Amino acid sequence: MRTRHPLALVALAAGFGLWLAAFILLYGSLSVGCRLGWHRIELAGGLTLQRAQLVALFAVAVAASGGLAVALRPVRPADEPAEGFLRPVAFRAAVAATAATVVTFAAVLVLTTCR
Amino acid sequence: MTERMTDPDAPPATPTPPSEPPRLSPIRLHKALSAAWGTPPGLGRLSAVNHTVLGKRFIIAAFVFFAIGGALAMLIRVQLATSETAFVGPDVYNQFFTMHGSVMMFLFAIPMFEGFAIYLLPKMLGARDMAFPRLTAYGFWCYVFGGAILVAALVAGVAPNGGWFMYTPLTSSTYTPGINSDVWLLGVTFVEISALTAAIEITVSVLKLRAPGMSIDRMPIMAWYLLITAFMMLFGFPPLILGSILLELERAADLPFFDPLRGGDPLLWQHLFWLFGHPEVYIIFLPAAGAVSMMIPTFARHELVGYRTVVVAVMAVAFLSFGLWVHHMFTVGIPHLALAFFSAASGLVAIPTAVQIFAWLGTIAAGRPRYDVPMLYLGGFLAVFVIGGLTGVMLAMVPFNFQAHDTHFVVAHLHYVLVGGFVFPMLAATYYWLPHITGRACERRLAVPAFWLIFVGFNLTFFLMHLTGLAGMPRRVWTYPESAGWDGLNLLSSVGGFLTAMGFALFVMDIVVQLRFGRRFRRNPWQARTLEWATPTPPPAYAFAALPRIADRADRLDPGAIGVALARGEGYLGFDRDGRMETLAVEMASGAPQQVVVLPKPTYLPLATGLATGAVVLALLFKLYLVALLGLAATLALFLAWTPSCGARADSGPLPIGMGETAPPHWEAARPPSWWAMVFTLAADATLFGSLLFGGVFLAVVGPAVPAPPIVLPPALLIGAGAALVAGAAAAAFAVRRLVAGRSPAAALLAALVLPLAAVALLLPVIGGLGDPTLHASRAVTFVTLAYLILHALIAALFAGFGLWRMRAGFLSATRSLDLRLGALWHGYSAAAGIAGLAFLCGLSLLGVVLPAVPGVEGGPP
Repeated sequence: MRTRHPLALVALAAGFGLWLAAFILLYGSLSVGCRLGWHRIELAGGLTLQRAQLVALFAVAVAASGGLAVALRPVRPADEPAEGFLRPVAFRAAVAATAATVVTFAAVLVLTTCR
Repeated sequence: MTERMTDPDAPPATPTPPSEPPRLSPIRLHKALSAAWGTPPGLGRLSAVNHTVLGKRFIIAAFVFFAIGGALAMLIRVQLATSETAFVGPDVYNQFFTMHGSVMMFLFAIPMFEGFAIYLLPKMLGARDMAFPRLTAYGFWCYVFGGAILVAALVAGVAPNGGWFMYTPLTSSTYTPGINSDVWLLGVTFVEISALTAAIEITVSVLKLRAPGMSIDRMPIMAWYLLITAFMMLFGFPPLILGSILLELERAADLPFFDPLRGGDPLLWQHLFWLFGHPEVYIIFLPAAGAVSMMIPTFARHELVGYRTVVVAVMAVAFLSFGLWVHHMFTVGIPHLALAFFSAASGLVAIPTAVQIFAWLGTIAAGRPRYDVPMLYLGGFLAVFVIGGLTGVMLAMVPFNFQAHDTHFVVAHLHYVLVGGFVFPMLAATYYWLPHITGRACERRLAVPAFWLIFVGFNLTFFLMHLTGLAGMPRRVWTYPESAGWDGLNLLSSVGGFLTAMGFALFVMDIVVQLRFGRRFRRNPWQARTLEWATPTPPPAYAFAALPRIADRADRLDPGAIGVALARGEGYLGFDRDGRMETLAVEMASGAPQQVVVLPKPTYLPLATGLATGAVVLALLFKLYLVALLGLAATLALFLAWTPSCGARADSGPLPIGMGETAPPHWEAARPPSWWAMVFTLAADATLFGSLLFGGVFLAVVGPAVPAPPIVLPPALLIGAGAALVAGAAAAAFAVRRLVAGRSPAAALLAALVLPLAAVALLLPVIGGLGDPTLHASRAVTFVTLAYLILHALIAALFAGFGLWRMRAGFLSATRSLDLRLGALWHGYSAAAGIAGLAFLCGLSLLGVVLPAVPGVEGGPP
């Protein structure tokens, strides 16, 4: 991560940016699924299309957030002070965002979807 | 390291660097810089653009509005003191509580923090001013004029009366036919111009205008708080601005965005409002928390514990706050799963907030705390805010929220959060930084009794409201029956309210006494370790006679030693260069000096532009649309009049900046502050556009299933318009390449001017062929989307025309291409928005075909 590039600063917001993207995606998909009646379409064993798509999105969100955290982990001593700050902070934010993703959206596993 | 805008293939055209201006004695340097940076006396004060002057004006104006909002609160408490009071009727009471909320949120809290930020940020960062002083001044006038419109409406008896949240359909023209709601929609939007200008100003100033060596990890913690808050404003305010525009369009032109009989939905307003409204709470709290994070280390005599963790926590709060707006709407009929998302996010946000509180407590525990007046107020903040936070977690839980919704419990909660989280810290901040403003030390005689009156009065007022709320007393009612049994608690609440008011009166007296009789001191009375205390106190207009080189974190400095050295001119720019107002811009992460930013002199243009903008608002309010168009033209012309003093007609090359280093002037740099300002402006613009697209999808997917009349969108015209916008953007980018390569950009600029106009010519028949946009919300959304694209295409053409004018006037060269690069950014955004918007409209018409065919749909989430 090159700190002389403004994109290095963007990494600070990457973790929670993913959380926000997951929020928009899951809330939007929930709304569209309910409107299109996907909660009435059973795929197998009582699993509805609505539940399946929401759980799939949830899994992708957790995987993406966790993957980002792994990618941002500090791996070597920093070349310069700003990098030694930006990378650990971006990493901690990504870890916190992963936890937030699990807590915020885990309800897709159990709650009724359109009532 | 410096940064210049050149084509690597172009021949070197850099003139010989000019020599460094002669060094002056400290006294002569002070006089020279004061002459360059000072604000003229008398009526010349109206031309002020200096951050110290404008910061103080913001703070004073915000206190005046706070007094007005406080007086309204007292009137509310008189009315509610006993049951069936005949003090005022419901019509007047509705204006009281609407104006109380609106004044406190829009005219006090936001501008107050803006004032502190504008006054303090450059001094904390080691700069001589904010990045865009004229924008600061324009924002101030918009704020004052917008606030004046609202207060004048109150005096005239036509103030907004639909609550500070302005829910539709109550505020639609059917149920509020007068101008009350228009005053809010137009007045508050006018004030929001100020908030957006401040957000851009703060973002760019923190990222670019720091002292050399102040890398991102060395910034004072308050700069982090303000940076993150400013980003929140950039993305939080546009949904409300869009909502206000849509509601005003509904009221003025009958476009039915919120009318369920014509495919609109009142809940769209609630979504747009609270998408702004909840982040707003944190937009108010975070700057105050930043101030707390500056004060506690000073009085604990220990640096802030967990600096990095606090930065993470503030970012977490900022993001989470955008995912919990629906907790204001739990009772509107949303599916449980969606409620769970918002409930979880609402509970989660308490964690990073608690991290900050533990960091403050840890700092006190790790240090050797000493007592003084600001610490007393900070104690009040901690006690009150923690209670507000805990009741917030209660309200985040759906079952409890169902019970407490719209009761006085919520009123108690929000006051504990906002007064605890903003007013107490701001009172502490006032006592902490008042010596900086006045050069007079803080006294305790009146400050302590004022605190206890406010603290006891506040808790008496609002703690009891938890109980009246739990007993079932609803919000926003002008009276209640004696049989309800709420008289005793309400009377005590009113007594508490008046005690609080007495406390604030004592506080104001104390400030006046301190201004008049406070003991003078030389520098840094609190022994703080941050840079703002390195300026003389009260500070001169130029803030620092020279800019320091920072070699440590900004809360580990010795302001006394630094201040003396800087006053001698030892540092960067420690000289006067032809009376120019100069400060330095740095690389964002490393803090390496990059550019000499030359700032504009005092001018009446911001005032005139603010007056012209105010004329537009008033003309719209009184439905004088021709006058509004003339005012808009005047506003545009005045903005263009700002530009001749920007840039230069000749290349100067790198300039000496002291310490043996050089840097180019900002107009010769690749990424000057104005380039970043354009990027952030477009980000806010994209948020507004995204909110519009969200609204369209929302109405199509979960709005009332009222059959929509067909919408005809000729594909040839849409494709042609999209292609013209993209070609215009390509022409604008090509113009930049030509200029940087040393060739004439005239032909490319001409194409960049004509092509967006061609797009407008193609879109106008589309908009004309839509049919009556008042028939259905889908048509209204299509109409507004096309109007948005047309407006952006027109502005793109204007940028190209402006580029041609600047070229002819001699402001452009291979190294001075900033004007064209700004235009290219706008062109690029217009093209991207054009493609997205046109694709959205095609998708929307497809949705209109698909969705009504779905049988048996029920309970879709709003």
